[in-house]
Amino acid sequence: MSKTSIDGRALKQLLGAGVKGVAQNVELINELNVFPVPDGDTGINMFHTLNRAWAELDSAADAKASAVAQRFAYGALMGARGNSGTILSQLLAGFAEGLGDTERVTAPLLLAAIDMAVERAYAAVSEPVEGTVLTVAREAAQSLHGGLSIDGMLQTLLANAQAALEDSPNQLAILKDAGVVDAGGMGLVCFLQGIQEHSCGAPVELRMPAQSSAEKSAPAGSPVEAYGYDVQFIMRGAALNVGKIRSDLEELGWSVIVAGEGRMIKVHIHVENPALPLDYAFKSGAALDDIVVENMQLQAAAVARQRGRQVAEPKPAPAAVIAVVEGAGMRGVYRDLNCAHIIAGGAGKNPATEDFISAIEQLDAEAIIILPNNRNIELAARQAADLVEGERVSIVATRTVVEGVSAMIAFGDAGDGQLSPAEIASAMREAARSTTSLEITRATRSTTLQGLDIRQGDYLAIIDGRMSAAAADIKSALLDGLNIAGAEGKELATLYYGGGLSRAETEDLIKGLALKIPSLEFELIYGGQALYPLIVSVD
Amino acid sequence: MTSSRIRIAADSVCDLPADIAAALSVSIIPTYVNIGGESIADDGVGLDRERYYRDLPTLTTMPTTAAPSPGDAADFYRRILDDGAEHIVSLHVPEKLSGVLNAMRLGAEAVGRDKITLVDSLQLTFGIGLQVWAAAELAQAGAGLDAILEGIERVRSHCGVYAIINTMEYLRRSGRVNSLVASLGGLLRIKPIIRVDQGEIESIGRLRTWSRAEQRLRELTLAQAPLDRLAVLHIANRAGAERFLESIHEIAPSDTLVIETTPTLGTHIGPGSIGVATLNRDWRR
Repeated sequence: MSKTSIDGRALKQLLGAGVKGVAQNVELINELNVFPVPDGDTGINMFHTLNRAWAELDSAADAKASAVAQRFAYGALMGARGNSGTILSQLLAGFAEGLGDTERVTAPLLLAAIDMAVERAYAAVSEPVEGTVLTVAREAAQSLHGGLSIDGMLQTLLANAQAALEDSPNQLAILKDAGVVDAGGMGLVCFLQGIQEHSCGAPVELRMPAQSSAEKSAPAGSPVEAYGYDVQFIMRGAALNVGKIRSDLEELGWSVIVAGEGRMIKVHIHVENPALPLDYAFKSGAALDDIVVENMQLQAAAVARQRGRQVAEPKPAPAAVIAVVEGAGMRGVYRDLNCAHIIAGGAGKNPATEDFISAIEQLDAEAIIILPNNRNIELAARQAADLVEGERVSIVATRTVVEGVSAMIAFGDAGDGQLSPAEIASAMREAARSTTSLEITRATRSTTLQGLDIRQGDYLAIIDGRMSAAAADIKSALLDGLNIAGAEGKELATLYYGGGLSRAETEDLIKGLALKIPSLEFELIYGGQALYPLIVSVD
Repeated sequence: MTSSRIRIAADSVCDLPADIAAALSVSIIPTYVNIGGESIADDGVGLDRERYYRDLPTLTTMPTTAAPSPGDAADFYRRILDDGAEHIVSLHVPEKLSGVLNAMRLGAEAVGRDKITLVDSLQLTFGIGLQVWAAAELAQAGAGLDAILEGIERVRSHCGVYAIINTMEYLRRSGRVNSLVASLGGLLRIKPIIRVDQGEIESIGRLRTWSRAEQRLRELTLAQAPLDRLAVLHIANRAGAERFLESIHEIAPSDTLVIETTPTLGTHIGPGSIGVATLNRDWRR
């Protein structure tokens, strides 16, 4: 089939096919994690980004091609998650910009739009790294020329992208070490492949991918967070057992309401971990619909803020902090340290750009500081800061949740209004840098990385994002990690336990360590994070 | 030695060393520490500060602190007046933080309100001591009441009291300064830097480690120079206080004191803490 131009409806179907291409490969993309840690989330991030973009198109019936591209790009910008998702959203924004205002996409317009897409994606990253999704996009666009038909262009685009992806380990040593290709690049290839393979106009149906390992539940028996989440959804099925579903759900949370019968029931529940009821319902085989998850702590805070304002708070706060935090205990620490808005999330659960935007809009503060607490969340946060009006949002690019705690401690000291927002942010940056982070998790596969022989199931010590030690038992991994982190010359190790590790087990770990590193004081706090038994700050 | 007609009085929270107090005829009324049903006067006789702080971490019930009774206060003033004083300037721990000033007022009313001028020092520990010291020197030099009160004002506006709290455990146990504790996210090993100002204790910095906190305290102390007087304060940490003094020796006057702080304060702040009380040279104008 050879087309000389495509209209809005056809463009919509092509884009939908691209979304489907990613949706069907989420797990595959997730597994392309250079680190053998259980937080591979590139696939889920790119899928969520595209799914949000698709939601903008789903209801609309634009015949105009440029309108379709603009809606799709807007959805992607809002839904952007993770660094790859954010770069993808910039590609789509550039594509829409390059099309300009047009009824139909012609070959020359397609060429211009693709060039603009690459240009804009590069511009969005302050220090572009070759061997990533950026390279794949650029290489894909490189040998396109005006002599090609639309179909020819799509074909060339895909072939070039695949070649660039295969070459990515040669450009980025860490990929070669890990024996993988770039996950973000893989996501882009899946997107282009979906588009290319779609030749006729069957409507595109999307399905939610199976939950990634990162979204599985927190350990049972964790202390319950004071507020938790309000989760609502509809279950559809052939013969739903309302009584059984109600009693099962009551095991998971409180304030359970189950209404309806047989083919469709509505569930309302308050839980500490919002993934639990969704996981339960999903596994029951029912189809899920109208899922709403709300953070009740934030609702309560908003009410308190409004009440407070009526009484004696005429002025907005000079600065407020938004932080991305995983784990009920860890969120409690942030709350106590006066964090104005906590977005639940972290490795494997990256918030979208629009999550940041809505948090920013909720806050009545002259200046807003965002703590992404993860390298892979930073770009989406920056994108949000760019998309809101004015210049009141700044990012303190914390890489871990414990760097964020140090930044919050510094923030608390700046509360008396004597420092400017820029000075506060700078004090927070300095405090974050002064902390060494040590994260302990388990290897999801065997590999050799950064000179370490890692076997699947090993405990890994990750220091400031660098894979630093691997050991068969957690005690050795922790001790090695502390030593490499220079604990001998440090004073304090604060251990946040979670990921299935109990307080008693953590206390046992410390007993042995106190003898080996006598200069170090230990402090034990419940973190409640899912995938990391221990997250430690060393000061 | 009662040559001056105006005498200076204070409570034991002022931390003025006994020899200086004696030399300047300053009368000190003790506050009390209650341990397990026993009430012990912080008068340097009944209570051995060093031993008290050594035992504090192992006590199962937190000691409480108490003001002298109005009767004690009346007796205290009566003795000073009987000794030949015509007027008493009596400096005390801030009313916002303690009931001492109220007890002293009731005592003063029993003895003769016009003979006694009560002063809320708006300070703690040697921040009161610096005011007492200057007032006593002025009194001994024959200054009148107004000149003495004005001298106290000048000292107060040129002094600084800063401390590192070694552990939040004691503040938490004492139930005081709840807001300070609540805003720590359970991170009780944090080292807050506190300042005493206008009769209130405020946190002006929170550091993760002792060495960083000590560095901050050093910066704060150096910023107060040039100094007329300096005391390095500590709670069961004389060695730490002396090391700190060594690190700021270039601004320390030759008569710098190292003082173990009153249990009235130390019980809540806990062993290990160090601090400073400074008096900038400009107080003399």
